[in-house]
Amino acid sequence: MKLTVKPLKQKDAGRGLAAIDRQAMSEMELENGDYIIVKGDSGRTVARVWPGYPEDQGKGIVRIDGRLRKETGVGIDDTVNVEKADVQPATSLTVALPQNLRVRGNVGPMIRQNLSGQAVTQGQTVPVSFGLGPLSSMSGQRIPLKVANTEPGGTVVVTDSTEIEISEQPAEQLTDEEAKERETPSVTYEDIGGLDKELEQVREMIELPMRHPELFQQLGIEPPKGVLLHGPPGTGKTLMARAVANEIDAYFTDISGPEIMSKYYGESEEQMREVFEEAEENSPAVIFIDEIDSIAPKRGETSGDVERRVVAQLLSLMDGLEERGQVIVIGATNRVDAIDPALRRGGRFDREIEVGVPDKEGRKEILQVHTRGMPLVEGIDLDQYAESTHGFVGADIAGLTKEAAMNALRRIRPELDLEEDEIDADTLEKLQVTEQDFKHAMKGIEPSALREVFVEVPEITWEDVGGLEETKERLRETIQWPLEYPGVFEQMDMQAAKGVMMYGPPGTGKTLLAKAIANESQSNFISIKGPELLNKYVGESEKGVREVFEKARANAPTVVFFDEIDSIAGERGQHSGDSGVGERVVSQLLTELDGLEELEDVVVIATTNRPDLIDPALVRPGRLDRHIHVPVPDEEGRRKIFEVHTRGKPLADDVDLDELAEKTEGYVGADIEAVSREASMAATREFINSVDPDDVDDSVGNVRVTAAHFDQALEEVSASVDEETRERYEEIEDKFGRRDTDKAGENEVGRTFH
Amino acid sequence: MEAYKQLSERGAEVARREYSDHVELAADFGPAQDIDVDVVGETVIVVTDGESYDIDVDGTPQAFIKNGVLTIELDEEADS
Repeated sequence: MKLTVKPLKQKDAGRGLAAIDRQAMSEMELENGDYIIVKGDSGRTVARVWPGYPEDQGKGIVRIDGRLRKETGVGIDDTVNVEKADVQPATSLTVALPQNLRVRGNVGPMIRQNLSGQAVTQGQTVPVSFGLGPLSSMSGQRIPLKVANTEPGGTVVVTDSTEIEISEQPAEQLTDEEAKERETPSVTYEDIGGLDKELEQVREMIELPMRHPELFQQLGIEPPKGVLLHGPPGTGKTLMARAVANEIDAYFTDISGPEIMSKYYGESEEQMREVFEEAEENSPAVIFIDEIDSIAPKRGETSGDVERRVVAQLLSLMDGLEERGQVIVIGATNRVDAIDPALRRGGRFDREIEVGVPDKEGRKEILQVHTRGMPLVEGIDLDQYAESTHGFVGADIAGLTKEAAMNALRRIRPELDLEEDEIDADTLEKLQVTEQDFKHAMKGIEPSALREVFVEVPEITWEDVGGLEETKERLRETIQWPLEYPGVFEQMDMQAAKGVMMYGPPGTGKTLLAKAIANESQSNFISIKGPELLNKYVGESEKGVREVFEKARANAPTVVFFDEIDSIAGERGQHSGDSGVGERVVSQLLTELDGLEELEDVVVIATTNRPDLIDPALVRPGRLDRHIHVPVPDEEGRRKIFEVHTRGKPLADDVDLDELAEKTEGYVGADIEAVSREASMAATREFINSVDPDDVDDSVGNVRVTAAHFDQALEEVSASVDEETRERYEEIEDKFGRRDTDKAGENEVGRTFH
Repeated sequence: MEAYKQLSERGAEVARREYSDHVELAADFGPAQDIDVDVVGETVIVVTDGESYDIDVDGTPQAFIKNGVLTIELDEEADS
């Protein structure tokens, strides 16, 4: 039966499965797990049937992974012939290893483990990955084996009971073949996770015109000539270009910026022309220009004469008088704004595709790709790691898995004898990556896209915030809801709030709330400490603000947190001593919050204890439009805060939290924390002074913090908010309720004539 | 979704498909493994070499295994 080939989802790849839709399955009378023979134009392979994806229902689709596609010699959207196969389990198998393999001992069990379940035919070459997959750069270190003989003959499947014999004669030609294969990259679509949409766009632009140029002739349009991929470093731009080149079986050549530069006049351009000529001769071809910003910067802004000529050469090559035929240029950069604008028009780079930071689903796919060949212990939950790796790009995740594998390696390091040139097969077999290895690796890896501004998402949940129920509820509505229920907001035609300002006396828990929301909203968290944005050079401070928001946009959903915002967003028109830097920073903040550029899924949280000092334009609707007063806690609130802070402490029975709450009128969260700490300190002091140092460990279990200790602590720590302060904040709250325009007007006059 | 979780914790690749008249769970253990499957009432019993474990599902399932691919079929109403 003829079916159309599509790629497999990342998680199903590498198992020799072929997902066939149900209708086709019943037509061929197949059941899950049956062996089928997939026949392409230039090859055949055996696969096991796997239930088709729901979206393929009735479309006549077979999904196989890159390895099977390569064996059958077909690409995506090609047709293959699928039929039921009669496959015998192999009783014995003889394989020939490549000559240069440096493993000692009995590799039979390892090979069996690797091959088990694969269907092989005599004479076939199968790649086998030994040990740690990802350590061996992207499906690199796969050792090709040749199947020398099978028992019984024909196509057989390797099982656990198959005997593996190693042929005495090494397969010599295998090493050569390996070297030759390096020329075209061997990356398949399944090796790319989380970029399905982008990949689809690239394929449409590149694969279609190469395979079926007649389509474009029929439409009377010129096929596209170039695609520009841009996005943060490490998101997979290069990988994507390589995969495309591999899958369409095109000639692949790349230009690396510094390489073509030459000291001789005209030589650099000459080299560019040569690359294009070479590609044309070998067409269909893909020319890949990595880091294109290095050879094609804006002509007006570069100082060098050479760069200008190289850009001009590139322009004319891409869109010259001569027809280029089936040559497509893929450019990649992470600084798309730095490229000469003449390159970014139709006819040259026709389409610009943004390769963004992956979301949770994407990260899971990437993790699946990188752990595919890795011997993981059972029970490692990739979902959990996908969730906890906010802001990680593909390269970071690759780093993470590599680091985890390295940790596993470190464990068996002592058993290795580096002097010997071969490694014992038993040791190799023992290598396994555990949960612990992953946890250790997580500590060492920071997401590169957020490296400069990254703060670890604090491990503070709503539970850790005592009292403040109303405040919490309002924060949740403002920040968590739009991210969690975007559908509702759309239906109600509601715009999510852009920002929240929390104000209140010092120590009431504003920062704590921000930490909790960052944790609970499952977003990236960027924390800005006001003064760190200021820079001594003119214009740099504003640039800092811009960069923060740029990063936030690129890594959305993001919570941007400005602690003590009054330090950078003071009212304009009052300062004259800092040559206006403060004002410009405020203006920049204003435009970022409510500018022409849409802030999608970026929420700003600001805290201050001097809301009266903040520029009024910043707190108007559309900017920091939600004002949340974090008040001095009332008795109920204080009790809850006591609860939070005494949760882990050994309290004596005479400690009554209600009574403590009653006694601590005017105490804020920070004060209560201090009281709890002082009380335990007092208890500790008493204990240590009264007990023999040798017995400390034995009797520490009996220590209790008593009411007397709390009384002592209450004497030492006094309330930080007095009646006056509280009244002032209540006044401010009133004022924010109905913004006092008259008073602002008065001030205005005063300032102007100052 | 219990069965799905249980199976994937056992290291199998699991897929869940909903069809008009029934729900199907497929799990791939790799064809080399010697696995048997049996159904008793609402329990699917998976027997691998030396080990056996139960997977509870709602409703009466049908299960078979072929070359390491375990298939559990459930009627429409039952949501495992």
